[in-house]
Amino acid sequence: MDRAASRLWMMRGLYLALGMLVMFFHLLPLDTRPDRWPFPELLIALTFAWVLRRPDDVPTLSVAFVMLMEDLLLQRPPGLLAALVVMGASYLRSAGPGMRDMGFLAEWTSVGAVIAAVFLSNRIVLGLLSVEQGPLAPVLVQAALTVLTYPLVVLFCQATLGVRRPSAIDPTIRGGQV
Amino acid sequence: MAKDRAQRDDYTTPLRRLFTGIVVLCLLGIFLVWRIDSPRVERFRAQVVDAVVPSMDWAMVPVTAAVNLVRDFQSYQRLSEQNRELRSELRRMRAWKEAALQLEQENARLLDLNNVRLDPRLTYITGVVMADSGSPFRQSVLLNVGERDGIVDGWATMDGIGLVGRISGVGPDTARVILLTDASSAIPATIQPSGQTALIQGDNTPAPVVEFLENRELVRPGDRVVTSGDGGVFPAGLLIGQIAEDPSGRLRVRLSADFERLEFLRVLRYHAADPIRDPGGLVGPKRPEALLLPDDEAADG
Repeated sequence: MDRAASRLWMMRGLYLALGMLVMFFHLLPLDTRPDRWPFPELLIALTFAWVLRRPDDVPTLSVAFVMLMEDLLLQRPPGLLAALVVMGASYLRSAGPGMRDMGFLAEWTSVGAVIAAVFLSNRIVLGLLSVEQGPLAPVLVQAALTVLTYPLVVLFCQATLGVRRPSAIDPTIRGGQV
Repeated sequence: MAKDRAQRDDYTTPLRRLFTGIVVLCLLGIFLVWRIDSPRVERFRAQVVDAVVPSMDWAMVPVTAAVNLVRDFQSYQRLSEQNRELRSELRRMRAWKEAALQLEQENARLLDLNNVRLDPRLTYITGVVMADSGSPFRQSVLLNVGERDGIVDGWATMDGIGLVGRISGVGPDTARVILLTDASSAIPATIQPSGQTALIQGDNTPAPVVEFLENRELVRPGDRVVTSGDGGVFPAGLLIGQIAEDPSGRLRVRLSADFERLEFLRVLRYHAADPIRDPGGLVGPKRPEALLLPDDEAADG
């Protein structure tokens, strides 16, 4: 139990640290010209990949905290995208166990749909409340890039961080210990 | 065991749903408050940035320096080519320097003749760019000077040569500069030598668009664009850049400031001239009140 608990808290900390790391690289003052290509939203892809694999490692509160910090630091309307990502993550959290046996392609499709929904509803809500917005094309490119980088993020999660779906005999999860 | 887990799930799922709902509501609440009372939340944002970003500085400085070092190293490969370019540029610059010196002397003479006093209040504070906190759709940088140094919202920011942006959001130790390239930036400008006024509107591309131009015929690519000082936010006469025409025929501004590497920025202290409100009184000697009163009574009687 101790080992499982310490692993759990370590992974929770790791998620927060990775969030900070991604924001750190966003903030580096390397090139202050506008980018030609928008950068994919790595944090959203990472959150979704993690939620599908180890939902206990990424509790709602840390997702909300990381996304809200990103909103605040990167000059986005604070709270909206965070709320949408939390909703998307909780949907994936409940759909995750059913998706286990369907293979990666099905997972990619449904995560892609959720990402598209998040970007689209963000855009729609901002439009409804008449918040000033940039042109649409970069947003679409960003959403597409995020979906396209998702497999790489999954690969990174599994190979480097060791975030895999728990198997039945895995001793490091709490469920197997009862 | 399986039954036990299932029971636990039954018990925790509604609670978890409720909790998620509360979190989502809180986040949406923050968003709505931002939409309704934006300045207050933006102040909160400035406070958060002020707390978080300086604490990242110890890591940011070496990483930035290392990346720039690698980039410089790459540029060494083109050393001889660059050398030749620089030499020819230097030759041209010498000619300009002579011209500038002569003009400076002439200017000083003329100023002296006219007894002109330049505004002594237009001084500046220099800050270092700490972080590029733009997302793909917002162009802004953070400076390491803030309220403590007397920075005020709206002041103009330049690098050595040209205008960079304006201050928007001041924390105790940091200030945010909205760059000219940001979509929400619009600067009233004058185009020299025709004297046409226009608005320089950022649109997330490296070259902002020239909008609301009265007579396009008078403006040619290569014309200088300077701030006009309309609206009283910026001092007049700060260099913005040069007019250029994009392939689709729109006029854009090629910015003079080096946006590729913003490092040291000057924040200009500027207090707009006091506006004239009353229509102005009669010119003449003031008559004392005591003398006026008997006159009035006499007129009544």
